Amino acid sequence: MTIATLSRRTLLQAGGTLLASTALPTFAIAQGAGNRLIAAADSEPKNLNPAIVASNGVFFIASKVVEPLAEASFDGKDGLAPRLATSWEGSADGKSVTFKLREGVKWHDGKPFTSADVAYSALNIWKPLQNLGRLVFANLEAVDTPDATTAVFKFSKPTPLQLIRNALPVVSSVVPKHLYEGTDIATNPANVKLVGTGPFKLTEYKPGEYYRLTRNADYWGKGEPKLDEIIFRVLPDRAGAGAALEAEEIQLAAFSAVPLTDLARISKVPGIKVISKGYEALTYQLVIEINHRRKELADLKVRQAIAHAIDKKFVVDTIFLGYATASTGPVPKNAPEFYDASVPTYAFDTAKANALLDEAGYKKGANGTRFSLKLRPAPYFNETKQFGDYLRQALAAIGIDAQLINADSAAHQKAVYTDHDFDLAIGPPVFRGDPAISTTILVRSGIPAGVPFSNQGGYENKELDGIIAKAAETVDTSARTELYKQFQKIVATDLPLINVAEWGFITVARDTVQNVSNNPRWAVSNWSDTALKS
Amino acid sequence: MRLLRDLLRTPEGAIGLGILAALALVALFAPVLSPGDPLRIAGRALLPPFTDPAFPLGTDRLGRDVLAGILHGTRTSLAVGLAAALAAIAIGLCVGLTAGFAGGLIDEGLMRVVDAFQIVPSFLLALAFVSVIGASVPVVVLAIALGAWADPARLTRAQVLSIRERDYVASARVIGMHPAEIAFREILPNALPPVLALSAIIVAAAILTEAALSFLGLGDPNVVTWGSMIAEGRNILRSSPSLSIFPGIALVITVIGVYLFSEGLTKAFAGRRLEP
Repeated sequence: MTIATLSRRTLLQAGGTLLASTALPTFAIAQGAGNRLIAAADSEPKNLNPAIVASNGVFFIASKVVEPLAEASFDGKDGLAPRLATSWEGSADGKSVTFKLREGVKWHDGKPFTSADVAYSALNIWKPLQNLGRLVFANLEAVDTPDATTAVFKFSKPTPLQLIRNALPVVSSVVPKHLYEGTDIATNPANVKLVGTGPFKLTEYKPGEYYRLTRNADYWGKGEPKLDEIIFRVLPDRAGAGAALEAEEIQLAAFSAVPLTDLARISKVPGIKVISKGYEALTYQLVIEINHRRKELADLKVRQAIAHAIDKKFVVDTIFLGYATASTGPVPKNAPEFYDASVPTYAFDTAKANALLDEAGYKKGANGTRFSLKLRPAPYFNETKQFGDYLRQALAAIGIDAQLINADSAAHQKAVYTDHDFDLAIGPPVFRGDPAISTTILVRSGIPAGVPFSNQGGYENKELDGIIAKAAETVDTSARTELYKQFQKIVATDLPLINVAEWGFITVARDTVQNVSNNPRWAVSNWSDTALKS
Repeated sequence: MRLLRDLLRTPEGAIGLGILAALALVALFAPVLSPGDPLRIAGRALLPPFTDPAFPLGTDRLGRDVLAGILHGTRTSLAVGLAAALAAIAIGLCVGLTAGFAGGLIDEGLMRVVDAFQIVPSFLLALAFVSVIGASVPVVVLAIALGAWADPARLTRAQVLSIRERDYVASARVIGMHPAEIAFREILPNALPPVLALSAIIVAAAILTEAALSFLGLGDPNVVTWGSMIAEGRNILRSSPSLSIFPGIALVITVIGVYLFSEGLTKAFAGRRLEP
């Protein structure tokens, strides 16, 4: 073809073909086979191994592939449903727990699952490497494997069975020994190309596009999984999730992927349901993490001033549109077993906050500011980012100039939890049924740099460390609860971090998706009974 | 002055200059028109526009005044646009002048660098640059300039190549002027006009790039920009579309203003050249 014959029509045709070719992959996913669930995913963790990184961003995808010993349940014994373990029993002295394991379970690569895998995961990954396991299994000495389906956990100090039980769904993801033994666990390729025992296999991951999970035909559960395939479409754009649901490009958006402001509207769309159940065991807490290495922030009066500067009612009503509760301390109200309301509280009082800062010796300068701080809001949720915008204004009202720094998840975690390059950070830690699992780690000292979602602010309080250590080995339930009440009082008084609000999430799904939210950690459970009605 | 008169004689130039002058005034007097931090939480959240005289354009998700955001956003947009264009043209002029005047290996080398920058899409370059170094106004300016300097460099070089063969340059060489003097006093002033006409386009592109970066959350979060306002409004586009529409309109007006101004400028230059 010569240039002379290149008409507008041919150009348009060529352009059209080009456009169509770029749109093709989306169509392929959207139409697809009948029994395929497409869910929105909003983050792509760099390490997908739930045995190392026990966080919901990882569980959301990995929990379908790698299974824990037991899962949380609404009606099961001890609030648990068996998974890889079928029963568990503690000894009277609190020094050993015996797990009976499921028979006939196979890894996705065909090798049999045995007690050796559990022992290896516990001793080599959960205890030394996992963000939460290193606390729960701190005193784990050995795991005896008298036969292929029995694992006996031996502790050097009494470890409450109640804690182990509460922790099981979160800390006990089992990975295959034969792929990890003798390798560098942190850089093992199986951390990204997961191999587990779960109802789905991770078959494909296209960064920035999707994760493809396909049915594990050899799954131990009878008649499960009910889905042939799960696609986690990466939709970092939260405004896109609602529109994608309406257009039936996706069928499920968990973790409040549909913005709270959109819920009132989308709940009226036919064919779409809005569900607030299924997050009972994952209460998120809006927390201001404080870097105590900063001279100003090491001063209790400054921390109290910041606490007084925050209008929690505004945060709950305006940022969370009422889908949250104001916090009083490190244990949320929906953990009635441990929650203690009689702790010091900090009413919204700008004048008092200003007076406290004056008292601390940080007078306002000529330009009305006392000092500057680096504020890093976690990028995981709309609400954490919006609270960052709000906090900047709330601090400006008391003469503290906060400079916001935005970063993506990986850069944020590195800056806060490894490099300590922050003064204030806004984080959403999760309360997982027992303060020892994920709450005490936020204030306990002696955690090496690089452990995500832990105390990386350099805070150290011997008394608090003592209570945490004692509670960890108190087998008696009421004595243990009492210790955690003391713990709440000290945290609320000394403010190693500031708890602002606590909230659960919302799932929005098409009506065709069945068995949604049928356990207290549904979004991060294995979805083996989730089905599609055609 | 004559250039200004020529410019005002073209309708595009007159309208463009009018819009830009109005925007410049808004940018200059933003602190007077709406005093205080525009990111301040000023009222009830999500007030619809045209309902409360205190907030003519309503408030956003956190109760920040949309009008204040737009007024102050003018500052950021114009400042970043102008600074980035200025930096791009300064770099482009220097590189183009050096390449065109020196010739030989230096020319070849510099032009291959220009090629390298022209190959990479400028927006991707800015995106990568900002996400690696971190978002702040100077970084954003530099990132945009990095992607925009190659065009003025090429244009300048082409101009220089033609001008340096002219007789007056040869005579300057004969009377023993220093090469640098020839470059800056004889060649540069004559090579400048077409590059300046290009500059308006660069400003418009820079304003759009800045808005796009902010939209993607890579702008400076501590200043208000139209791009970040649109991005925040996008989350609730279905229920409060005005939050994205108003800053969008501001962006459109600005870019149209700059574009018309550049059209007028080109015509004014062309007219001048036609006159004897």
